[in-house]
Amino acid sequence: MDRNQILKEILNDKELCKKWKIDNVDDLSITPTSPYYNKFVEVLALIIKENDNNLSDSIIYKKIKNLHNIG
Amino acid sequence: MASIINSISFKNFFNYYGEYEDTRYDFEEGVNIIVADNGAGKSKFFNAFLWLFYDQILDSDDKIKKGIRDVAVKIISDKAKNETVIGQNVETGIQIEYSTGRWKYKIVKSFVATRIRENITAFDSWQIILNDIEVYQTDHILPKYKPVYDAEEKNNIIKQLILPNLRQYSFFQGEEVDSIIDFGKKSSIEEAVRTLTDISKYEELVALTKDFKEKAEKDLNKQTKSNSEHNERLEKAINLKEELEKSLENEEIKLGEFVKLYDEAEQEKNELEQNFSNAEKRNELDNKIKEKNKKVNEVADEYSNFLDGINSRFFDGNFSWISLGFENIETTFQEKIQKFREMHYEKKALKNITEDPNKHFHFLPLDSPDSVSLKNMIDNEHCFVCNREAKIGSPAHEHFIKLKNRAVDSKNDIEFVKNNLEGFFGGLQINSQPFYNKITNIEDSILKTREREIDLNNRLTKLKKELKLLKDQRKDILIAGSNDEDALTVINRYKGAIRRMESSSLQIERLKENIKKLKTNIQNTEKEVQSLRPTNIPEGYLLNYQICADLADATEKAKERVFNNMVNLLEKYANEHFQDLIKYNELAGGHLKFDKTPSGAIEFNYIDNKGNLVSGAAEGFQRMKKFSVVMAVISANTTKYNYPLLADAPLSAFGSAFTEGFFEATGKVFPQSIILVNDLYDKEDEMKINELGKKIIKGKLVKRVYVNQIKEGVEQVDLVTTKIKLK
Repeated sequence: MDRNQILKEILNDKELCKKWKIDNVDDLSITPTSPYYNKFVEVLALIIKENDNNLSDSIIYKKIKNLHNIG
Repeated sequence: MASIINSISFKNFFNYYGEYEDTRYDFEEGVNIIVADNGAGKSKFFNAFLWLFYDQILDSDDKIKKGIRDVAVKIISDKAKNETVIGQNVETGIQIEYSTGRWKYKIVKSFVATRIRENITAFDSWQIILNDIEVYQTDHILPKYKPVYDAEEKNNIIKQLILPNLRQYSFFQGEEVDSIIDFGKKSSIEEAVRTLTDISKYEELVALTKDFKEKAEKDLNKQTKSNSEHNERLEKAINLKEELEKSLENEEIKLGEFVKLYDEAEQEKNELEQNFSNAEKRNELDNKIKEKNKKVNEVADEYSNFLDGINSRFFDGNFSWISLGFENIETTFQEKIQKFREMHYEKKALKNITEDPNKHFHFLPLDSPDSVSLKNMIDNEHCFVCNREAKIGSPAHEHFIKLKNRAVDSKNDIEFVKNNLEGFFGGLQINSQPFYNKITNIEDSILKTREREIDLNNRLTKLKKELKLLKDQRKDILIAGSNDEDALTVINRYKGAIRRMESSSLQIERLKENIKKLKTNIQNTEKEVQSLRPTNIPEGYLLNYQICADLADATEKAKERVFNNMVNLLEKYANEHFQDLIKYNELAGGHLKFDKTPSGAIEFNYIDNKGNLVSGAAEGFQRMKKFSVVMAVISANTTKYNYPLLADAPLSAFGSAFTEGFFEATGKVFPQSIILVNDLYDKEDEMKINELGKKIIKGKLVKRVYVNQIKEGVEQVDLVTTKIKLK
């Protein structure tokens, strides 16, 4: 399954995009490295990517916390 | 890129006797068909792939899959075994070539058997050594194979032909289709969807984000407590939220239990429906069998009486078969009897003349003088004929007396033979008259009798076949259904299952309502908690929680959307394929419907044009529905299905109208299919395929067609499968 398609499907929610100020969902894609212009998209992209890479949930969560500088 | 099987060859593999190059079958992208009568190597062909994928063979004696080493002796061609003298060895193997993208592979699996004893079929007469798997690789630019040495790489190359988790949809034999999708178990369709689609990715993400949301909340609460003075209201709100979440968790557990109860009840209902339907079918078949038995006995009696009556037709004047060939006998008889009589009377006359010439030679008219004149002549002693005296005692007077008595004397004529056979020949004529009159009709009568005999025999054979078919169907139902329970128990259990479904459904609705309320309460409490949180918490914790909470919600919604879209897609494709499959059938419209049940599973039904649920259709129709779903699952997959379909006798339960649709539909779904069938075989035809087969092979999607053949009446040791390439 295409990771980008999963990303777009999860963001296929107008209210959610409005709340997190996400524009042009169709143009979004998961990039190998940061930065992302939007934190929400960045966290989601990280979860999709690292889950695909078979990283454990605790490691993925640590990476999320690092994104928020709370690790 | 799709995996396409280019060829398969055998070496002394069952009836495929000879070297690889003698038994090579070439295939192409599209539909490839191998037509073979029973025993002509269909299942053996399929066994080659079982060997390739699983190192197993399906033992035709007990229908159990067994390891190659255990059945090696059975696999070797009997002809090859017979030709191998003690001390020498014979090699048996399969060779498959397939390509994917720019690469092409050749895989060889084989073993060597050395004969050590006389009896060729005994397992201890052979010493078996399995050869290493040989795998070769090339690309289409440099078509020269190079060996692959790494064992893992070899296995990966074999796996890549059809991935192990997809083989159940791509590699099956006859009735195995039935187990691919079990309509009695709702989870069956979900498993298919899960295997062939990406829904499981969303499920993983839902679980992950839910977990992250809990973690983020814990982290946030920890920060809240460490960064704020004692705030009773906040603590109370946090505790309330935790309690609500616990209640939610409990309700969700309960919901899960009722969903399970619902599923179990529904499964029981489905199974009982099958049994109930079987019981009805059994009863129906029993009546049909009884009726058919009666008919068979009637026709058998009629046939037997008819055969008994045939002998009497030889001597029955109405048929007179005994006189066949005696057409000219009457003329011959008349000629001969005439001749006989002439000779008889001639001889008799001659004899009488010799004895008394005067009696036969006279000049007077016959019977003259008359008796009155003669009396006068005797009394007067005078001949008035010649006017001369004729005294008593004279020869003339004596002659008068003799003439007067001639009537009496003639009766005393001496016969020429004691028996003139007049009575015998007369009897012959009288008795043969009725037979003779029928002679011209005998051939026609015999022909009509033969026609009648053939007709009765055909009727009896047909009826016996129909009876056997009914009995076979009855036997199949016995296996599938339950014979131990009486109808009442089945009905009671069935009603009980429906009651349990209804009560579980009510509980599910109630719990869903509770869960909805709890979630609202949690959201409200959450808002209160947020409003009460101190402002000095590092922003990252708050943001982390907010993002994780929204992600948990968004992934759940996305999963639901994908699932619902998938159900709609499945319905769309299943109906498209189903219409393809039945398009040559007289089946009335209707469509396949996928619905979500209260437990959230996929339910699959066939609805007729009036919106009624159709159940309990014939086996062929059921199998057709399953094929539609399998093909729908493959079509609905967002990525292209890249594996061939290898199916042995998948059509055995179909009608011919379904068969035609099957080849069209399969050609549209699978990049390549290799179908082994006997349904298209016709021994009497020049091409060895029936009219339907001839029609099917003209199809654009059909690329290669072979017909397998074996010589009839040959010994097992001489049994060899040969092939005719039709396309």
